[in-house]
Amino acid sequence: MTAYILNLVVLISIYAILSTTLNFIIGYAGIFSLAHAVFFGIGAYTSAFVAMNLTPSFFVAIPIAMVLAALTSLALALPALRVRGEYFVAASLGLQMLAVTLFSEWKGFTGGIGGVIGIPPVEIFGFALVKPWHFLILTLVCLALVIAIIQRLVHTSFGRSLKSIRDSESAALAAGKNITVIKTLSVVLSSSLTALAGGLYAFYMAFINVESFMLATSVLVMAMVIIGGTGTILGPIVGAALLMLLPGALSYLSFLPQTEIGSIQQIIYGSAMVLLMIYRPGGIVSPKTRGEAA
Amino acid sequence: MNMQNTAYDTTAAQPVTEQETLLKVRNLQMDFGGLKAIQDVSMDLRAGIVTTLVGPNGAGKTTLFNMITGHLKPTAGEVEWLGDSLLGKPPWKIARQGIARTFQDLRLFTHMTVEENILTVMEQGGWLWQSGGMSAKTARQERVASILERTGLKDKARVRAIDLAYAERKFLCMARIMATDSRLWLLDEPASGLDPNSYGLFLELLRSEVANGITVCIIEHNLDIVVNISDRIAFLDQGRLLADGLPDEILNNPELAAIYFGER
Amino acid sequence: MLLLQLILNGLQVGAIYALTAAGFSLIFGSTKIFHFAHGATFTIAAYLFHYALTNLGLHWTLGVAMAAGGAVLFGILLDRFMYAPIQRHEGSFFTVFVASFGIGIVVENVIGMVFGRSFISVSTSLSRSVELLPDLYVSPLVGLAVLTSLVCFVAVHMFLMHTHAGMALRALSENTELVKTFGLSPRRLSAYAFALGSVLVVPAAIFTASSSGLNPAVGHHVMLISLAATIVGGIGSIRGAAFAGLLIGMVENVALWQVGTQWSEALTFAVLFFFIIFRPSGFFGRAAVS
Repeated sequence: MTAYILNLVVLISIYAILSTTLNFIIGYAGIFSLAHAVFFGIGAYTSAFVAMNLTPSFFVAIPIAMVLAALTSLALALPALRVRGEYFVAASLGLQMLAVTLFSEWKGFTGGIGGVIGIPPVEIFGFALVKPWHFLILTLVCLALVIAIIQRLVHTSFGRSLKSIRDSESAALAAGKNITVIKTLSVVLSSSLTALAGGLYAFYMAFINVESFMLATSVLVMAMVIIGGTGTILGPIVGAALLMLLPGALSYLSFLPQTEIGSIQQIIYGSAMVLLMIYRPGGIVSPKTRGEAA
Repeated sequence: MNMQNTAYDTTAAQPVTEQETLLKVRNLQMDFGGLKAIQDVSMDLRAGIVTTLVGPNGAGKTTLFNMITGHLKPTAGEVEWLGDSLLGKPPWKIARQGIARTFQDLRLFTHMTVEENILTVMEQGGWLWQSGGMSAKTARQERVASILERTGLKDKARVRAIDLAYAERKFLCMARIMATDSRLWLLDEPASGLDPNSYGLFLELLRSEVANGITVCIIEHNLDIVVNISDRIAFLDQGRLLADGLPDEILNNPELAAIYFGER
Repeated sequence: MLLLQLILNGLQVGAIYALTAAGFSLIFGSTKIFHFAHGATFTIAAYLFHYALTNLGLHWTLGVAMAAGGAVLFGILLDRFMYAPIQRHEGSFFTVFVASFGIGIVVENVIGMVFGRSFISVSTSLSRSVELLPDLYVSPLVGLAVLTSLVCFVAVHMFLMHTHAGMALRALSENTELVKTFGLSPRRLSAYAFALGSVLVVPAAIFTASSSGLNPAVGHHVMLISLAATIVGGIGSIRGAAFAGLLIGMVENVALWQVGTQWSEALTFAVLFFFIIFRPSGFFGRAAVS
C-alpha cells in the first residue's frame, strides 16, 4: 500500500511540474500550446540517452535535456509567435504530431515504438537513487524549485509584461513591449523546465516509450491546468492531483466497465472543461470570479 | 473646401512660439477590401498643440491612430516622426520613440491591479529584469505613486482593473499613458461617458499635462473639449480630411456643421 | 505510373481536405469562433454514415442524410448552447478554445466507447479500384470526390455571393458593425455559419470513411489539416483554405514517392511552418498581425 501511494505521489509531482510549467504560458502569457508532451518527451529521451551513453548524473543529464528542449521550443516559438495566437495553436499541434512520428521512427535515439529500456538510476554526486522514497524527495525538491522559479518570475517585470500581453496584446504593444521576444522567452523557459519533468520521469520509470509523449498527454496536462485554474500557483497542482487520482477513484466504482476507465476519465475532464468555460472560466482555484463583462 | 495649412493662432491656451513638427502624415490611404477607410489624408502635429479630430462615426479617426501607431499598415502614404519614417515599424518600436495612445475600448490589463497596470508600462525595456537596479526600481515606484495621486486612483492601487468603476477605468487609461514618458499622446475618446465631476477632473489633468509640454491629439465627440481645450481641429468625414484649422473657423462653417450634426 | 497514381490519390485527399478546411475557415472567418470541435463534427458525420450503412443496412442516400443532419445539428447546438453563453460573458480566445477542445475530447471518447477504437471503413461498390491503365488503379471515388467538392464550392460561392444571408455572412467577416445594415442578427448569422460550415465536412467525412477509413481520434488530424490550410490559405479566405487543403493533400501523397506514409503529418507541419516563416499572411491573406 505504501508503495502504491509513494508511486502515486511521485507521478502526481511529475505531472504537477508539467501543469505548472504549462500554466506559466497559458495562464500568464496567454499562449496555448498543444505540444507540451513534446518537451516532456525530449527531456525524457535525452536524459535516458545521456544516462545510458555518458553518465547517469542528474547534473549532467538534466541540463543537457533542458537545453535541447529550450532550443527546440525556440525554433517553434520564434516564428509562430510573431503572428496571431491561433498560429501557435496550429504550429504546436503540428509539432506534437510530427514529434510522435519522430519518437517512433528515430530508433537510434528513442528506441522506436519499443522505447528505451533499462535506464540506470539517477546519481546525485555519485550517490545512486535506488529507493523509491529517495526519488520521492528528489521529485518534491524539483517541484518546489519549479514552483519557486515560476512564482519569482511572475512577480518580476517580466511576469507583469506577460500578464499585460495576456490581457491585451494591442495595449501591450502600444506600451512599447516587444511581445514576440517576451512570449518566446516564456515558451523557452517553460519548455526547459518541462524537460526537467521528462528527465525525472525517465529515471523514475527506467523505461519510456512514445505512449507517454503523445497528444493525449498534452491534452491531459492542459486539462489539469484548466480544471485547477489558470494563472494561479495552486490551481495546476490541484488539477494534477485531481486528474491523477481520478482513474483510481473510478476503478472503485464497480458498475463502470473497467476496460473503459480511460475513456470515462477523458469524458469527465472534457465535460469539465466545457462546463467550467461556461460557468466558471477561472477554474476551481480562482481569485473570485474571473471575467465579468469587461 | 480644403482648408489645410491654415496658420496657427498664437493666442491659444498656452504660449506657443517656435512649434517643431513632431509628426507628419502625408497622403495616407487605407483600404479594407473595397472600403476606403482613409483617403489621401495629410496633416502635421506640432509640438505643444492640442489637435482634436472630429467627424461622424466611421469617418476613419481611429483608423488614422492605428496607422500612426503601427497597429495597421497603411495602403499608401507616409508617416514621419521627427523626420524619420515610421512605416513598417512594429507598434512597440513606434511606442518607444515617444508616441503613446489610449483605446476607445480601453484595453486595460484587466486581471492586473491598478498599480501593476501603471508599473508595467514603465517596464518596456529589458528581458528578464529591468536595468538600473534598486534605485531605478524605487524611482519607478515613486512615479507610480505620484501618478496614482494625480489620477485619483490612490485608494484603488491594489484593485484589479476589471473591478473598477467606469470612470476609474477611464482614469486608469490616463494613468497608463502618463507612465509612458511620451511626447505625443493620441487619445481615443478619453472623456466619453464621464460624469460632470469626473469630467472636470479629467480636463484639469489634461490641461496640466499639456502645460508640462505634452503634445496631444484627441478624438472626441464632446463639444466642450472641442471648444475649451483644442488649439486646432481636424475634420474627417468618410476617410477624407475635409478641414484642418482653428476651432472657430471649423465650428462656424455651416457645411461642416451640417455634416457633423446631421449625422448624429 | 506510380507518380500518376499518387497524383490521383492526392487529388482525392486534397478535395477532401479542401472541403474540411473551407468549413472551418467559413466558421472562423465569419464568427471569429475558433471552432476546434470541427474535427468532432467530421467524426460524428463519418460514424453516422458508417452506422447507417453497416449497422442499419440503409441505402447510402439515407446514410448521407443522417450524416448531414447529425453534423448540422451538432454544429448548431454547439453554437447555441456552448459558444453563445460563453461569448455572452467573456468570449476570449481562451474560453472558446478550451470549451471547443473539451467537447472534442468528449465526442472522441463517446464514439470510441460506442463503436470501438479501431479503424472502421465503409465499403461501397464505388470503393473498389479498377485498373484504368496498366498498374494504375483508380477508384470511382476519386472522380466523385473531386466532383462533389467542386459542386460544393460552386454552391457555397453562389450562396455567399447571391443570397441575402450569404452577403451578410461575408459582411460579418469584414466588420460586425456592417451586419446591422442587413437587418439580420449576428446570432442568426452565426447559426447559418455553423450549419454551412458543418455541412461542408459531410462529403469529406463520407469519402474518408469509404476510402481510407478512420478511427475516433481522426478529429485531431482533421483539425491539424483545417488549421494548417486556414493559415496557409490566409485567415478569412475560404477560397484560400480550399486551395491550401488541396495543396496539402497533394504534397502528402506525392511525397509518398520518396517517404513512408507515417511522415504525412510531418509534411503538413512542414508546409504550415514554411508559410508561418515566409508568408504568414498566406496565399490570399491580408495582414496577419493581430
